[in-house]
Amino acid sequence: MARTTAALELKGRMLSATRIRIVDADPAAIDAHLQELRRQMPQALKGMVAVLESEAAIDLSSLLVSLRAAGIQPVGVVDGPLAAAAASNGLAILPKDNRVRAEQPLPAAAAPVAPAPAARRPTRVITEPVRSGQQIYAEDADLVVLSAVSPGAEVIADGCVHVYGPLRGRALAGARGDEAARIFARRFEAELVAISGVYAVADQLKSAKSGEATQILLHQGKLVIEPLN
Amino acid sequence: MTKIIVTTSGKGGVGKTTTSASFSTGLAARGKKVAVIDFDVGLRNLDLIMGCERRVVFDFVNVLQGEANLRQALIRDKTYENLHILAASQTRDKDALTLEGVEKVLNDLVAEGFDYIICDSPAGIEKGAHHAMYFADEALIVTNPEVSSVRDSDRVLGLLQAKTRNAEKGIKVKEHLVLTRYNPERVEKGEMLSVKDVQDILAIPLLGIIPESPSVLTSSNSGVPVIADAMSEAGQAYTDLVARFLGEDKPHRFMTYEKKGFFSKLFGG
Repeated sequence: MARTTAALELKGRMLSATRIRIVDADPAAIDAHLQELRRQMPQALKGMVAVLESEAAIDLSSLLVSLRAAGIQPVGVVDGPLAAAAASNGLAILPKDNRVRAEQPLPAAAAPVAPAPAARRPTRVITEPVRSGQQIYAEDADLVVLSAVSPGAEVIADGCVHVYGPLRGRALAGARGDEAARIFARRFEAELVAISGVYAVADQLKSAKSGEATQILLHQGKLVIEPLN
Repeated sequence: MTKIIVTTSGKGGVGKTTTSASFSTGLAARGKKVAVIDFDVGLRNLDLIMGCERRVVFDFVNVLQGEANLRQALIRDKTYENLHILAASQTRDKDALTLEGVEKVLNDLVAEGFDYIICDSPAGIEKGAHHAMYFADEALIVTNPEVSSVRDSDRVLGLLQAKTRNAEKGIKVKEHLVLTRYNPERVEKGEMLSVKDVQDILAIPLLGIIPESPSVLTSSNSGVPVIADAMSEAGQAYTDLVARFLGEDKPHRFMTYEKKGFFSKLFGG
């Protein structure tokens, strides 16, 4: 008998993680620093999702023990000297990013992890077309695009996404889990839409009339596509 | 004021070099002092299309590396003495170019009093294309009426407004759409995108439509830019395009397909 429900459901979610860079490879110094942090901000450390980065080879296993004792949950390492040890410890290996490093070492990086939606920032307004290959992200805010979103472009917001030109690319609202976020498009021809990680691709969007004003919202965990009049 | 203009597309084989050759020749015919640079290092094509491949002594890379000065490397066009060509090197690859080197050559051309510098970009969106577009004030986006070409042009437009010197200064690079290999008959049959379809996606001003024409190939092969062929529709379309670029009001032509009537079929008219 054919199964009616799939065994797995895949959802794309944004996750905020703290980058911990090992500045001093001396285990005693690391332990001392962790003790200090634990005293200063025990709440922030508890359950903190962390990615480790080090230019020097250090004993990863003992570092993991220290971090976990402090309440931190290391999930991966940045590719480098730690990569080999990470694989044997079951951690993910993440690619190095090319951005100029803006983060400070440990103290500043240990900003509190707030899974609950933070206070909304002002709406981000984009007046130029969003071209193929471009990605616009409105962090903790709504996103308004006055021009076209091309196929292969991506518009993402932690709040709602509004597109007043044709929406031909991908639109993701509620990127950090806000299930009340919606997508509004004046000319709906999207490749993919997602709200709070629940997504649908163009083939599944047949109920949406191509080129019509449309809104997408999440109702009881399912995407609802409605015409806008 | 010198204007630097890049001819770019993303996709290969859409008519960038053909457009660079005809556009620069057309501007020169209007009395402008023009330099056209082949950025496709390693694949040298522009000098062939402009019919000066037998006179290339020094090339762009020689100038960048200080092996020749700019005046030695600039090749003067046979027809227009105010048109100069800087050929690409065929023996080097694209790594020979650096942004600093390109900037120096462009500054030297500006100091020589050129009105227009046309940068003929290689295909793709990698380093070579980046070097060609980086210093541009304006861009000719060459696109064929087919989905993949339009998609690539869209990508390039995004890069133009993000990864160029002007963009970094917050100045918009002026965009012009050049729709090449346009075949109104096939558009009518629904086999090709229409001008309207392309404009709907790219949303930039249309500078010219160049109809598909056998004279483009014959001109390229004989080393004469197609704009010089006043009898061909493609040549006329490029002449119109240059006039429009210089601010003249020319209606677009070659957009509609006229069915041949019985008599014209009969008499081959």
